[in-house]
Amino acid sequence: MAVGQRVLEAAGVPRPGRLARLHEWWEQEHIFGYGLILPALLLIVCLVAYPFGMAVYFSLSDYWVGSPGTFIGLDNFREVFRNEVFHRTVYNSFVFTSIAVVLKALLGVWLAMLLFRALKFKRLIRGAVLLPWVIPTALSTLAWWWMFDSLYSVVNWTAINLGLMAAPGPNWLGQTGYAMAAVIAVNVWRGLPFFAIIVLAGLVSIPREFYEAAEVDGAGSWRRFCHVTLPLLKPVLAVVILFSTIFTFSDFAIVQVLTRGGPVNTTHLFATLAYQVGLTGGNLGQGAAISLFLFPLLAAFVFIQLRYIRRD
Amino acid sequence: MQVGVRSRAARIRYSAFGYANIVPFILFALFPVYFMVITSFKNDAELYDLKAVPFLIQTGAITEHYTFLLFKTEFLTWMLNSLIISVVSTSVSLVIAILAGYSLARLRFPGVASFGTAVFITYLVPTTLLFLPLSQVVVWLGISDTIWALIVTYPTFLVPFSTWLLMGYFRTIPKEVEECALVDGATRMQTLLRIVLPMAIPGIMAATLFGFTLTWNEFTYALTFVSQSQNKTAVVGVTADLIRGDIYYWGSLMAGAVLASVPIVAIYVFFLDYYVSGLTAGAVKG
Amino acid sequence: MAPTAPRRIQRRQFLRTAAGTTAGMASWLALGKSPAIAQKRELTFLSWNHFVPAADEELRKQAEAFSKQAGATVRVDTIAHLQLPAKFAAEAASQSGHDMIIANTSTGYLYEQHLVDVGDLVEDLGKRYGGFYPFSKEAALMSSGWKAVPWFWISFPATYNQAHYKKAGLEVPKTWDELLKQGKVLKKQGNPVGIPISHCADANTTFWSVLWCQGGKVLEADGKTPALNSDKTAQVIEWYKELYKDAMEPEVLSWDDASNNRFVLSGKGSWIHNPISPYNAALAKKMPIADDINHHNSPGGPAGIHSAPPINSIGIWKFSKNADLAKEFIKFHFRKENFDAWIVASNAFNHPPLRHFADHPIWANNPKFKMLPKEAEYAHPRGWPAKTNAAVNLIEVNYVLPDMVAKAVGGMPTKRAIAWGEEQVKLAVQGKLETKGKS
Repeated sequence: MAVGQRVLEAAGVPRPGRLARLHEWWEQEHIFGYGLILPALLLIVCLVAYPFGMAVYFSLSDYWVGSPGTFIGLDNFREVFRNEVFHRTVYNSFVFTSIAVVLKALLGVWLAMLLFRALKFKRLIRGAVLLPWVIPTALSTLAWWWMFDSLYSVVNWTAINLGLMAAPGPNWLGQTGYAMAAVIAVNVWRGLPFFAIIVLAGLVSIPREFYEAAEVDGAGSWRRFCHVTLPLLKPVLAVVILFSTIFTFSDFAIVQVLTRGGPVNTTHLFATLAYQVGLTGGNLGQGAAISLFLFPLLAAFVFIQLRYIRRD
Repeated sequence: MQVGVRSRAARIRYSAFGYANIVPFILFALFPVYFMVITSFKNDAELYDLKAVPFLIQTGAITEHYTFLLFKTEFLTWMLNSLIISVVSTSVSLVIAILAGYSLARLRFPGVASFGTAVFITYLVPTTLLFLPLSQVVVWLGISDTIWALIVTYPTFLVPFSTWLLMGYFRTIPKEVEECALVDGATRMQTLLRIVLPMAIPGIMAATLFGFTLTWNEFTYALTFVSQSQNKTAVVGVTADLIRGDIYYWGSLMAGAVLASVPIVAIYVFFLDYYVSGLTAGAVKG
Repeated sequence: MAPTAPRRIQRRQFLRTAAGTTAGMASWLALGKSPAIAQKRELTFLSWNHFVPAADEELRKQAEAFSKQAGATVRVDTIAHLQLPAKFAAEAASQSGHDMIIANTSTGYLYEQHLVDVGDLVEDLGKRYGGFYPFSKEAALMSSGWKAVPWFWISFPATYNQAHYKKAGLEVPKTWDELLKQGKVLKKQGNPVGIPISHCADANTTFWSVLWCQGGKVLEADGKTPALNSDKTAQVIEWYKELYKDAMEPEVLSWDDASNNRFVLSGKGSWIHNPISPYNAALAKKMPIADDINHHNSPGGPAGIHSAPPINSIGIWKFSKNADLAKEFIKFHFRKENFDAWIVASNAFNHPPLRHFADHPIWANNPKFKMLPKEAEYAHPRGWPAKTNAAVNLIEVNYVLPDMVAKAVGGMPTKRAIAWGEEQVKLAVQGKLETKGKS
């Protein structure tokens, strides 16, 4: 497109009739608008829509990794729904996502406010806080794994030596409740910076006059937070919660590295169960059904949330 | 936020409170990183010694894990691959996203709203599944087992997010500026390139950083589309080569984690301010 | 933020460069060919990261030697074993990738239709070297023929700490029940035993062994009738419960394949059911504990001694354009001198599926390895007495058996845990039956 433009420019004034017409045509708002989204559209159609269509087809067929399947309608979904492990996974996913997102939201807002205040060593502090978000997950999760190791857990070592725990301490990745706590902790560790930085961005954009006005009215800091900060942050929070919910819900790496769904499937999420059934187990059809099970629900959620954000 | 009417003592108390509260967050964020670094300098005997203090290096720091990584594996090649892939795919995505983002934020034409939503919905599709059909596409394009396989497929997740972020940023730019330019006879493309783009630099920087992070850290595609060791990315190379069945090379693994994180951390330290200010508008007007 | 002139130029420069890159890429895509396509024939082999790295080095050396001889390059790519399934799935879906792959028990069944028949090669090798052990055959011989060449099996003996045993005044256990009794003593001494009850390969392997020794089975010989729900299974679960409570630490619930190695290498653990990799690792890293580590044959039970050593084979993709060359390479690797060198490189970890190779002195000469080849006599493929099939594979990868034990250990009544396991086995069998007849 940039090339086309340059050609037009090079043609100079006065333009010959055909070029002028072309130019006029191109300058129309809707033509120009479609023109600009064309590359993105092409990309999405070629590289996302086709694979997505195939994935949907997988879920509706008895496709195995080694053999193309035939169309079987919703059988996979029915089959999956009958399985107790899947029920457990649905439960896990909701527990995991809701706790992790709530923690990230609360801590994220709090951290953002602290970052907003701290002025000395600003760069250093912000940089340090951002680190977990920046380091490749596949590698940082390994470090966590080593930290939760049943023998060498530095977490337990610390807690025992601080007198917070009786030796040998919990087996983080092997006891049901603890394993969930561990994967949530790592998810929060990784996702918190993203939350905090975006909320910080939101805080930066709140005009000072609002606070000044509130202060003149004699509002305390808590009331300023409730009546000025929070309402003005609402749009930002809505976006970041939306993103975070989606990312958390579809988390794969953390659970896959730390527990592979164990102990007894109590940490399986949609993505890890789908991987286990679809790839290592070879039943692609069911794997696809598992990972697409909530697609309609999530899509609806996103749709509503987006409308709400736009209206705001 | 300070209005200047407070006393000195109150101000000190105020900031002391802030710093005291931020310390736990910093500890939480940095501890695993510290642990990674310390593990990478420990010798194996100490690493597997149950009585050792895990926080410290007591029997002398060694650089063996790093030399192993640098001279016994193709780590440097992997880093270079990661760099090329991240730079190229992020730039390409950015160009696409700037055009689309501007169009969706500024121009009115039928279907604009639904396209915006569609962009978002693409995020709901799990990569754990997409990679299979996508690997077919990669083969059709004749680029399997080359770094091009990743350069071409990474925009699939970069473009949607960048578009979304930039859409928000473009909305914050006053419309009047553009209208003036158009009235003065500039073409639409000139307006975009010369007027709007310069004003959107912070947003573009934020999108760039974000894109760079996502590509640098991507795992599934990098694992499945590339096989030759010399074409691997840093993240895949480190995990694929150093995880050996029932024996883990913890020292080298952590050394790899540290080294593979360095470039991206450096970039962030450098462009942090842009990141925050770019996200500001982008996110607020999302 | 007012734009300044130099900035603007820079930016345009950038955009132009970016546009150039895109255009370049597009034209090059249009050629439909990657510039990296080699002129020379290239044979590629996707294998796992061997648990003993020196074995991979030896394999690459042989690949190079073969390259010179055959006038084609041979490339061996190795990745972590947990990453292999994703890779296989992508290669089968896109019908492109490596020529040869390492195939564990399940790979052959999943990709049966995509693998070349290697019956001629197997027969040839078998004739030359005294025949394949029956258990190794069953992982590569499908109803449609030989789909892979049995490559090596991994002896799964007991690995124990002699010093701890000596201190407790114990002899090595002959049966799983003896192990339980000893474990109680050893745990009190501060050196518990360890059998993983978690989502890892070792947990499956040991469970099969214990179940078979007790006389239990998961499927009937027909391969489709669930047989898990029995007194034998109940006895096995009771055994696990007691072992967990009195002879092990709760950490076994979180173990992966590497954890039991660390458990022994740390000096804490006294007994694990595992290949010799901890011993080899201790030797390689010159850890003093190597002297204390020894091995003995897998324990038995009322129904005899049985074990389920992991078996790996080499398969050739049908889409490979170099299938004949691949067969040549396999033959080359199976030459006595090459295979022996490879066994030595793995320090006795790789066990040959061919009888004649099994007399290698590396086992006989080392008292700590002497008993390893004998494990072949106890070996069965997973699923036995049924033949290994896709249902067995599903049971394995979904960790149905360890999960059943974990549930019981976690407090679920044994009967209910078994009922749960049986239900999962049923689902697995249905999954298998649905795909039957598709080929």
